Amino acid sequence: MFRSVEKNPILTLICIALAFLIYGYATSLPKITDFMIFCIFVIAFDLLYGHMGQLSFGHMLYFGSGAYGCGMFAYHIYPDPFLSILAGVLLGATVAALLGTLVVKTSHAAFALSNLALNEVGAYLVLSPWHKWTGGEDGLSLFFKKYGFINFGESTFRFYFCLVSLLLVVYLMLLLVRSPYGSLLKAIKENEVRVRFLGYNTFLYKYITFIISGAIAAFAGALMSINLSYTNTSLIAPTRNVEVIFAALMGGAGSVIGAVVGGTAFMTISNYLAVYVVRWEMFLGFALLIFVFWFREGIWGYLSKSGGALEKERSNP
Amino acid sequence: MTNFVQSILFGLTIGGILYIISIGLSLTFGAMGIVNFAHGLIYAVGAYAVYTVVTVLGGGFLAGLLAAVVVSIPLSYVIERFVIRRLYGESIDYAIIATYAVLLIGADLLKWIFGASPLPIIDPIGVLWTSGSLVMPVFRLVIIGTSVLIFFGLQLFFKKTLVGKIVVAGLQDREAVRSLGINVEKHFAIVFVMGSALAALGGVLYAPLSTLDPYMGFQILILCFAVVIVGGMGNLKGTAVAAFSLGMVHSLTAAYLASSASDAMVYVVMAAVLVFRPVDT
Amino acid sequence: MLLTVENLDVCYGHAQVLHDVSLRLNEGELVCVVGRNGAGKTTLLKTIGGFMSPARGTVEFRGERIDGMPLEQVARMGIKYVYQDKRVFSELTVRENLELAAYASGQSLDEAVAKVIAIHPKMGTLLNSKAKGLSGGERQILLIGRALVGDPQLLLVDEPTEGLAAIIIGEIIDILLKMKKRITMVVVEQNLSTVARLADRVYVMKEGVFSREIEDKKTIENPSSYEDQL
Repeated sequence: MFRSVEKNPILTLICIALAFLIYGYATSLPKITDFMIFCIFVIAFDLLYGHMGQLSFGHMLYFGSGAYGCGMFAYHIYPDPFLSILAGVLLGATVAALLGTLVVKTSHAAFALSNLALNEVGAYLVLSPWHKWTGGEDGLSLFFKKYGFINFGESTFRFYFCLVSLLLVVYLMLLLVRSPYGSLLKAIKENEVRVRFLGYNTFLYKYITFIISGAIAAFAGALMSINLSYTNTSLIAPTRNVEVIFAALMGGAGSVIGAVVGGTAFMTISNYLAVYVVRWEMFLGFALLIFVFWFREGIWGYLSKSGGALEKERSNP
Repeated sequence: MTNFVQSILFGLTIGGILYIISIGLSLTFGAMGIVNFAHGLIYAVGAYAVYTVVTVLGGGFLAGLLAAVVVSIPLSYVIERFVIRRLYGESIDYAIIATYAVLLIGADLLKWIFGASPLPIIDPIGVLWTSGSLVMPVFRLVIIGTSVLIFFGLQLFFKKTLVGKIVVAGLQDREAVRSLGINVEKHFAIVFVMGSALAALGGVLYAPLSTLDPYMGFQILILCFAVVIVGGMGNLKGTAVAAFSLGMVHSLTAAYLASSASDAMVYVVMAAVLVFRPVDT
Repeated sequence: MLLTVENLDVCYGHAQVLHDVSLRLNEGELVCVVGRNGAGKTTLLKTIGGFMSPARGTVEFRGERIDGMPLEQVARMGIKYVYQDKRVFSELTVRENLELAAYASGQSLDEAVAKVIAIHPKMGTLLNSKAKGLSGGERQILLIGRALVGDPQLLLVDEPTEGLAAIIIGEIIDILLKMKKRITMVVVEQNLSTVARLADRVYVMKEGVFSREIEDKKTIENPSSYEDQL
């Protein structure tokens, strides 16, 4: 069953949509809207980590670029929601395109740490030198124009808008992963030198992937600023990078569905369990250790593996 | 002019502390290929240990320093034995995630015990040294002196002791050391604990210049990563040079640009070095 | 039988480098493995030495399984490896290089130093220089000397003459010949005239399999008779 879900994109989308609709109406729509936005961010992160094999410890920079791009456009220029989202995505993609020329050349530890360093610099710029435009420590509170039923002040509308956004991102990612480009990315992850010897410009592929990932992360950031109706430094905070890393690891790195499962699982834990778990960071730390040492395939990796084993058993007893 | 000299001396102080903390990080990075975020925890624990002894128990600063070093030894041994050692030969990403997890757990534990609000420690010497219009706390001069002593002590350690030589050889070629029949990991554990004790000492020395908070390890760690990367991973002299240079960058930025910009400036230097001198790790 | 290698398959990631390789070694023998670059000679040596684990097959040393054992443990059993790429500890002095080897095998430093001076007296004058200042030939001699510390029972020598000047090659061969009979050796070598002087037995390796084993002394001494089979 799990395998057929992963193989059929339409079925995947229907399952995801149903799951979030049920989850949303059973609990609270604004909360699940948060969950879905976070899932988009996890997908963006996992494109680099799970698919390209590079761990970024500073992807909040791109999430934050999206949030601030969207927020500053709405606040200073024009509060049209769609143009603001577009501004956020463009800002994220531009930052990724600029910094990508530098950081994509590095790999592994250097990649992780240079991204972290740049995230720190970004967070500082937003907080202090650019506070006139970014609102500094207070951030910006936002409102957006309404057009008939298109009303971002309505939580139900935001829910459906984010649901459609998530489905769109998942669909595009499934296409991308299955394309020749996706296979090439996988080959680069396994052995970049070999792919380079085959005559491919691996830098270019990694660079493009970095920009796509940055743009999607920015899209998530923009949606988040709309959903919260503010932007502030917590949306670009380097210390929050661990959240998305954890979610990707928990769901199972290298799978689009895994990213959605991980994002949802993480948000569920942090929203519902955090109330009962007094020592939240300690809990997070131990959970991370468990995933790193004993459960690397993650929830979705585990399900699809054991599901696959079951199917195999049934087909050849 | 006085202002400039003052900044230089401040830079040396920060550089000295960065150096003391970065050694362990650099060795773990260079010899074992592990990015160790848990190092920041030991630093914070060192600072809280001296706080406990001095402010809570009313003891002396030197007693606090001793307590910090003593606490850091078993703690770092446990981290090495149960986390770091399991990560040798694994993808470096897992090392980053696992040691970050340890840092998170430790920071939360500190928050649990001491609370989240910043805690101050008074300057243990409390004497100012003046020369003309130049005013400098003697404690800062002690820090600079200590870091210089540690530098020469370590040079001696790596030149004269067997463990030191094994680590120097291991930094260059771990496999070749193993192929002689030497268990590198076991010897490295000694140096790991030593580097951790120095990180705790760094926490002790830095505490009076700033305030304590449970997350202090995060901030200093990224600065120390900058030192390690600029100085070259596992390069002991390079670490010293980088620490003092970045200390200068830090204090001169604070003096002539904006004090809030100094950390960011160090990160810019680090990112630039990472990008323009790519290191394969 | 000192060493028995049976049905070895070794892979680098997905690429299989050795296919069903078997080899036997008697005490005191010097066996050469010859073959082109990329034939899998070094991989075989590294698998015996404990640097990598086989996907299939076994390596037995004096009747004990050693495949999959940690490298340092294999070394402590008396199997020492002499690197191809002259991997001395360049930041340490010659004496310190020997000191580490002596420490690992429980011998005294003086004995270790004496051993190297015995094979190459000039080393005595270089004891306090850093290894990075040595010439290629001196490094090779230091590597052999380092491996001899602690009286190994099996020496794995990877391309000992590669990249060295002709005069030094002669000296290295003499050193190996002197050690022969006392220490069992597996030598990977591309230069067949060197092989002709050293080997008791030759294995020809081609694309990860032994294509031929030569025991006849006459054939070994006349490399042109099998040169074309590489």
